[in-house]
Amino acid sequence: MQYENPEIPEGINVTPEHHLKEFAVLVGGALALILAIVLLLGWLAESIAAHIPFSYEQEIAGDLGGDTPVDATQVAIERALQTLADGLVAHMQLPSEMRIHVHYVDDADTVNAFATLGGNVIVFRGLLEQMPSENALAMVMAHEITHVQHRDPIVSLGRGVVVGLALAAIAGVSGGDLTDSVFGSAGTLTALSFNRAQESAADASAVATLAAYYGHVNGAAAVFDLFARLEAEQPLQPPAFMASHPDSGDRSTSIAAQAHAHGWPLTGELTPVPEALRLQ
Amino acid sequence: MLVSNLEIVPGRRVLKHLGLVQGSTVRAKHVGRDLMAGLKNIFGGELRGYTELLNESREESLSRMLEEARAVGANAVLNVRFSTSSVAQGAAELFAYGTAVVLEGE
Amino acid sequence: MIDLIVFVTLLALGYGFGRMAETGHYRSIHRREKAFRNILLIAARFPPPDLVPRKTQLVAGSAVISVDYFKRFVAGLRNIFGGRVRSYESLLDRARREAILRMKSQARALGADMVFNIKLETASISKGRRNAIGAVEVLAYGTACVPQKHEA
Repeated sequence: MQYENPEIPEGINVTPEHHLKEFAVLVGGALALILAIVLLLGWLAESIAAHIPFSYEQEIAGDLGGDTPVDATQVAIERALQTLADGLVAHMQLPSEMRIHVHYVDDADTVNAFATLGGNVIVFRGLLEQMPSENALAMVMAHEITHVQHRDPIVSLGRGVVVGLALAAIAGVSGGDLTDSVFGSAGTLTALSFNRAQESAADASAVATLAAYYGHVNGAAAVFDLFARLEAEQPLQPPAFMASHPDSGDRSTSIAAQAHAHGWPLTGELTPVPEALRLQ
Repeated sequence: MLVSNLEIVPGRRVLKHLGLVQGSTVRAKHVGRDLMAGLKNIFGGELRGYTELLNESREESLSRMLEEARAVGANAVLNVRFSTSSVAQGAAELFAYGTAVVLEGE
Repeated sequence: MIDLIVFVTLLALGYGFGRMAETGHYRSIHRREKAFRNILLIAARFPPPDLVPRKTQLVAGSAVISVDYFKRFVAGLRNIFGGRVRSYESLLDRARREAILRMKSQARALGADMVFNIKLETASISKGRRNAIGAVEVLAYGTACVPQKHEA
């Protein structure tokens, strides 16, 4: 009997393909999958969420105003903001059961305002400090109130929950803590932000409200110029408002176009920020 | 190519031993199968997706082993053994190895 | 943002160093496989009856090879779509060949020229659980036959 150990050629038990190629294909596939899930389930959740009654939304939100501000200036600021909001709401045809509550957060580092469940609008100190005129502030507030009017917070919540669950299920199955975190952050990114269509709708309605409230739309574009400037100053830490509101560059131009189409004057006297809201 | 887990093939003499040949593969099933397997864990029963996965892996590792055997000029692989391990969650690693030999006759 | 930077950095580090370790390891495997070519590996259970060795002894070799961040990430993605997990194949190949080489070097130290009844065991420490170390362990063992003519 003969014994021999011939040489075995390479590459039988290892697929000779470049790892980066496989990586590119897989990452592309994963992104396409995330996109498909976000679009499909997001659309599904949105169409369901819009049918949830507003009173139920208020119940979910609970009583945000429960923690009464202890500070007298804080009370004054909140009251001034509420007055402005009520003035804007008068021009916005909100359903009768839809009440807007404005809350103020004494945080100078956050240049932001957002609308959340149950008609609550939250304004941060950082935003108030940056506002050049009442018109600009009114633009931001009208924008957020429109989100409430369009039921955007509950729609986004529904979308976020459904999409988040689907992505978590996939990430959990794939078994890696890495894919978990990637899918997780992709999910959160889509969860808490309103989408582009919602934003443009809110912008359009806010400008219309401004035209009705002041008789002109001067100061509206200044908001986006301000955010664009802040973003340029701190590219690594853009204002929170920017993170949730994409493509601000084109927004001031679209305001001008809209004003032109409706014949709203682009110039007019700017109202100064009310005394109580003049910080710094 | 004759594949057997016997040491000797009755009636045929081993002319030449060509040493160890091996084939291995790691395979996974897509997410849908994994989710279904998770559900099956509630009700019990055969996990068809994973049975299929094992079959695919076994076939692939066998064919890789045979490819090695052909490359060294063998006409049979004897004393074949399989071993499995789980390198990653939801993926099956199958390893087949045996002795490549040249048997007399056809 | 910071998370993403950390993630990409780890991925790049995993890829760079993983590639380096792999090509280096394969180079050393090829070199040593050439050097140990004269020790024959036979998976048959029985040595031929006419072979009367001076001594027989169990020899074994094992190797534990770790995955890198890049490979683990790619494998995780592959788990979503299914199919051949290519990034782990080279890992197993390396571990197996390394274990065999270590077994051979033990046989060489004994002065053996043949190793019979080779068996290979694969295990994965941690079983690929979450947040655990991912590694492949291979144990190769067999019986080394030291021939008569050599006086070790």
